[in-house]
Amino acid sequence: MTTQVIESKLSPVASAPAPAQRRSPWLVPAALAALLLAAAPWMSGQFVLHLAILACINVVIVNGLSLIDRCGQLSFGHSAPVALGAYGSVLLASGTGLGPVVSTALAAIGVGLVSGLLGWVILRLRGVYFVLVTFAFAELVRLILLDAAPITGGANGIASIPPLQVAGLVFDTRERFYALALGAAIASVLLMVWLFRRPLGQALNAVAANPTLAESTGLSVLRLQIVGYMGGCMLAGIGGALTARYIGFISPESFNTGASVAFITMLVIGGRKSLYGPVLGALVLTPLPELFRGAVQTQHIFYGAALILILRFLPGGIAGLPRLLHKGVAK
Amino acid sequence: MDWQLLLGQATANGLVVGLLYLLMAVGFTLVFGVMRMVNFAHGEFYMLGAFAAYTLVVKLSLPFLLAVALSVVLAIVFGSLVEWLVLKPFRKDELNGMIATIGLAMILQNVALLTFGPDPVSLPPIATGASTVLGVTVANSRLYVVGFALAVLLLLYAFLRHSPVGRGLRAVVEDADIAAIHGVRARIYYPLGFGIGIGLAAIAGALMAPLFSVSPFMGQTPLLKAFMVVILGGLGSIPGAAVAGLCLGLLESYSTLFMSSSTADMLIFILVVVGMLAFPRGLIGRGEA
Amino acid sequence: MKAHAPQFLAAALLGGLALGASAQETLKIGALVTLSGPGAAWGQAMKNAAELAADKVNAAGGLDVAGRKYKVEIVAYDDKYQAGEAVTVANRLVFEDKVKYLIGPTGSAPTLAVQPITEKNQVLTSTLGFTNKALSPDKPFSFRPVITTYEIADPQIAWLVKQHGVKKAGGLFPNDESGQVIARDLEAAYKRAGGELSAKEFFERERVDFVPLLTRMLARGIDTIELDGNSPGTAGLIAKQARELGFKGKIVRTGGPATAEIVNVAGKEVSEGMMVHAVLDASQPAMQEYIASYTAKYKVAPNGFSPSYYDFTNMLFESMRRAGTVSDSAKVAQELGKLSNFEGVLGKLSWTGKESYGTDHQLAVPFYVAEIRNGVEVVRARCTVAEGCK
Repeated sequence: MTTQVIESKLSPVASAPAPAQRRSPWLVPAALAALLLAAAPWMSGQFVLHLAILACINVVIVNGLSLIDRCGQLSFGHSAPVALGAYGSVLLASGTGLGPVVSTALAAIGVGLVSGLLGWVILRLRGVYFVLVTFAFAELVRLILLDAAPITGGANGIASIPPLQVAGLVFDTRERFYALALGAAIASVLLMVWLFRRPLGQALNAVAANPTLAESTGLSVLRLQIVGYMGGCMLAGIGGALTARYIGFISPESFNTGASVAFITMLVIGGRKSLYGPVLGALVLTPLPELFRGAVQTQHIFYGAALILILRFLPGGIAGLPRLLHKGVAK
Repeated sequence: MDWQLLLGQATANGLVVGLLYLLMAVGFTLVFGVMRMVNFAHGEFYMLGAFAAYTLVVKLSLPFLLAVALSVVLAIVFGSLVEWLVLKPFRKDELNGMIATIGLAMILQNVALLTFGPDPVSLPPIATGASTVLGVTVANSRLYVVGFALAVLLLLYAFLRHSPVGRGLRAVVEDADIAAIHGVRARIYYPLGFGIGIGLAAIAGALMAPLFSVSPFMGQTPLLKAFMVVILGGLGSIPGAAVAGLCLGLLESYSTLFMSSSTADMLIFILVVVGMLAFPRGLIGRGEA
Repeated sequence: MKAHAPQFLAAALLGGLALGASAQETLKIGALVTLSGPGAAWGQAMKNAAELAADKVNAAGGLDVAGRKYKVEIVAYDDKYQAGEAVTVANRLVFEDKVKYLIGPTGSAPTLAVQPITEKNQVLTSTLGFTNKALSPDKPFSFRPVITTYEIADPQIAWLVKQHGVKKAGGLFPNDESGQVIARDLEAAYKRAGGELSAKEFFERERVDFVPLLTRMLARGIDTIELDGNSPGTAGLIAKQARELGFKGKIVRTGGPATAEIVNVAGKEVSEGMMVHAVLDASQPAMQEYIASYTAKYKVAPNGFSPSYYDFTNMLFESMRRAGTVSDSAKVAQELGKLSNFEGVLGKLSWTGKESYGTDHQLAVPFYVAEIRNGVEVVRARCTVAEGCK
């Protein structure tokens, strides 16, 4: 309350002290729009459904990246946990006969364990060194997948992956899979929102803002970052498993540096600071290639330019637009 | 098979490739040292250097040496401009600078794709045939490239050691704040540092162009190698990058003798990661942790 | 002006009537091909060949099927040689553009990824991928217009071993699905012919420096280097670097037409005397006409795989005429499979493959073993899938 009073006294703008009041005119229309957007693919045909499914899976993966980012470290090798989750769930299912859901869950846990171990080793590095190591590690994973042909199918990949089955309900149509993907996307966003309201989330924020200060207040930076890293990688692994079950085919080429760069692009353009950044980034950037399909190179030039411009002028990404507009309007 | 001869051949191969890595890595670490920026577009400047040489030699029929010299000058000018116009806001901003260079890389590669198309092109060889010294056979064209590369490195060394501008650059790499106190002007050194750094990449590209083919995708692998070399040698350490570059070239050459190419690649990756964790300051110990 | 007006009007009216009478519908044929990155040369060749065939038929007034004329349009998208992209493109072509016939996919991985979609939706595909999983009895809509190592390796290698005394061969292959398949097929073929593929090295596709791998391979004492399995540019580089290392033996390429690019990269001196697999016999008039019209439209010489697609597109048109429909792809596929001794620019074409794949959806094209002399292919042996090389 005191803060609000001070704020209202300091700001030259007549009142509207409340974030709460500022939010309400937008909340209902925004929620309606989101609902319409979410429901639209079911009425728009197979291709739109396909894009929507891919976008939702990207939301899950990029939320994972966002979680890692919010611990103060940016991973340039996010394609690695995605690949491990995909291959893990498929190989577990075909190798042990466990159902697809169980093997996906197990694969996610596996990815969590591996990334926990890896994180314990590499999270001691800061900034650029962490970036380079994650980059190198992702390449290493791709090489291993390529080379372990007897197990992973090597460059041929694994084809004819059976669709997901939950209690007799088979997810082999786009309509059904979209429901699943949408659910996963919403769940990942809710998870992030919930997490960052809790003390654990606050601690992660503190670690990201100023690690030295956080350490001095008794928080173990390394342990917190490991937790965040594990969580982020598990989300990525789940996204990978979903991709495998949807497309029905995986190969190491789908998880190369281009994929890692794509996830970072989505995060940055969507907005690194906002909890809805990943959603916006995935929504905007997944269908975009389709508009540009005739002119692939122009599309990439556009991405590159957009990255630079957003970093320069709109560090909050697309999610930062409303605030910018508000500032403009409020004047 | 005669192991001595084989090892000798592998050493010769490794040194030639090592020189390429050296040029890439020194430039990369120079950019980092001056601007604290991990330049993800470094490989694209290598590619642009190669295409510049290609255009000058094939389309304008200039002699090779002249084409290389021109490519370098063009690269330095272009690099300085890019730094000044695009990267200035990101000086000293490590993470955002990195992402900005990713954007830059995307733009450069796709502009090259639009201009030259995706198919590889080749330059006429600068020399034909091979020479055999002590039982080791090296292609003449590679010998020439080694010669030019050494000349470039000597020039660079002289520049950094003896010229006032070069000394200023080294000062900025060592410690930018103290250099500023001594009157070293950042406004000149940032664009210059970036320009020379990517100029080295462009030289590497131009020199290698007649040996391998030139395509808009050719920059990916040298970028990865540059990463590995500076991790080993220490980010920001020029001597570290030089030594590590040669070592990596030799290591790759020897390991390919004994095991398959992909196993060799994997082992080297693991070595690099382990090396970074064990020696955060770089094996030579002069980098920044 | 005034004096001419009535004539113009009459001409316009007549022209309008003529157009109206043959109200043309459009037949869309999709092209799911690689237009960027590795494999772009092949994907481009596939698209160009199909467009050339479409142009010819359109110039004659359109494709005439069951009394209706169709303007043929090729709708092409790039799959970047990646399975994931190919699936998205397939989705778009099948559900948005609603095509029933596809040129492509170019690569084996994209082919395997999109087949579940195309087979389920009864869409015909014509893959360039060499994987033997692409054709099978449970994939009635999948066809392959180009011959693969599996079909050509045995006859060619047998001929090379007999005529040129090849004993120990070594090959460098890209570490991807086509490279692995080709290496396996070649090894078997060399063994059956009485020779040996004693050295096999795999490398990352982007590699350009082969000297370390060649050093390793040459240490094994091989007498022949096998270039099959590599993209044209890479093959040229391998040949060039091998000669620079002092290799004096034979260089052969038993598959994958690439001579022009190899000569371009390696130079005439290095490529002199190379024995290569050739698909074009430039001495045949039909082929000469094809080469001329391709070069006229696209300003480059046709890639060796493009005649297969030109002929395939024409076979598709013929199947539509025989089936009497362009929309019932099941009928068209059936007619296509029944075609035999079709006159194409490659020669007389029939289907084969039941022994190897369980279904006759592999096009049996005649092929040749040629020697490169002064940068040009000179045919030394004529081969067919059934009878081998003479």
